[in-house]
Amino acid sequence: MIIQYLKPILFFIPLAVIQLVIVPLISINNIAPNLVFVLITYFALKHGQTYGTLLGFILGFLFDIISGGLIGAFMFSFTLSAFVVGYFYGENKIDINLSTYFFLFILFICGSINSFLYAAVSNSNLSVSLFFMIIEEGILPGLYTALFGLPIVIFQPKEGM
Amino acid sequence: MRNFFRRIVSDFKEYLLLIVLSVISLTVLSLNEKPAAKHLKTFALGNFAVLNEITSSITSILKRDEGRDELRNENAQLMLELNRLRKYKSENEELRSMIAFKDTSKYPLIPAKIISKLVTKSQGNFIINKGSDNEIKKGMPVVNDKGLVGLIMDVTENYSVVQNLYNSNLSIAVTLQRTNVDGILNYDGYNLIIKDIPTTYDVQIGDVIETSDFSSLFPPSIPVGTVSKKESNILGLLHNLTVLPFADISAANNLFVIKVIPSKQINQLEMNLIK
Repeated sequence: MIIQYLKPILFFIPLAVIQLVIVPLISINNIAPNLVFVLITYFALKHGQTYGTLLGFILGFLFDIISGGLIGAFMFSFTLSAFVVGYFYGENKIDINLSTYFFLFILFICGSINSFLYAAVSNSNLSVSLFFMIIEEGILPGLYTALFGLPIVIFQPKEGM
Repeated sequence: MRNFFRRIVSDFKEYLLLIVLSVISLTVLSLNEKPAAKHLKTFALGNFAVLNEITSSITSILKRDEGRDELRNENAQLMLELNRLRKYKSENEELRSMIAFKDTSKYPLIPAKIISKLVTKSQGNFIINKGSDNEIKKGMPVVNDKGLVGLIMDVTENYSVVQNLYNSNLSIAVTLQRTNVDGILNYDGYNLIIKDIPTTYDVQIGDVIETSDFSSLFPPSIPVGTVSKKESNILGLLHNLTVLPFADISAANNLFVIKVIPSKQINQLEMNLIK
């Protein structure tokens, strides 16, 4: 059980460094992919909703304290969006979910929810319109995040397909 | 009864877990400024930033520019000086002699390098490679060679967190250089905005914005940006000014911390307001 949670945390460390140091270099108008969320989605689709929700909570907390942002913001958004990822989980659908382009679709939907939730809890300025938040702080980062799921789809072994 | 609860827990355990974790997250979010949360953040940040710094130094091998650091420092000093001179030009001799004492003081600059950035639409912040060991304190303003970048929010021994202009929690007292109209600059998640300036005031596109004499967080006359757009509200009584910052914040790499905290007590009050 502990090893099951230790593995994503080990992957999390280099991904968090890349997220904070390299991803800003490829951000477009402050819209950036979230690599930590790609990791959470991958493991949530592999191990189920409860596992994903807990993992989102743990990695969200870790990312909050090392990024210098608001503690609790990523914790909240990762927990909720990992819960949504869990709805796509199925014991017989793990391969289909992870090794087909459906993974990118899940990543896009849940990545958008994650970005939107993060913006909603961390933005103290209420003058931003909901439409703007959905497009610029939800859908666009979600699309960008989905793009970074492509290596997983390509390199994931396709068993029995 | 016990069986009933057991059945509810087993049937809805995912939802119960979600509710519990969401409540914990939101509670933690509301406790952000508590000393315990600050200590935890400072501890984690101080340790993890070492990894960021190593990675950052590897990625910056291709754009190595150490030789230019001194020139950048001089450039930043000149930028502050130039802006002070511009202000002198627009004032008459009498006013100039009155404010001369305040403006002739030179601000010592501490050069720093950004080692990591949190890129989001509403929570712009950087981590820089200088901390309390380099005499950096919470509340010090941060500039680059073009203009104001942000404010030091958290300090560890070797690293500091800078809240940049693109952070919706940062409000700055600013003034229009040409007409001395004062206002509060905020980031609304999309643009830097100065709200509710009466339409009767003389404001033109291209007017230079700088930090105000009224701000105790920032020294006066640090250039911030220019007015790029002005919009009237429905009644036409007030303007909202959109400001284009001088500093290219998303591309910023080398920064300077201005070693000044004008008043500890007022500063503390203003920092509380930011929270």
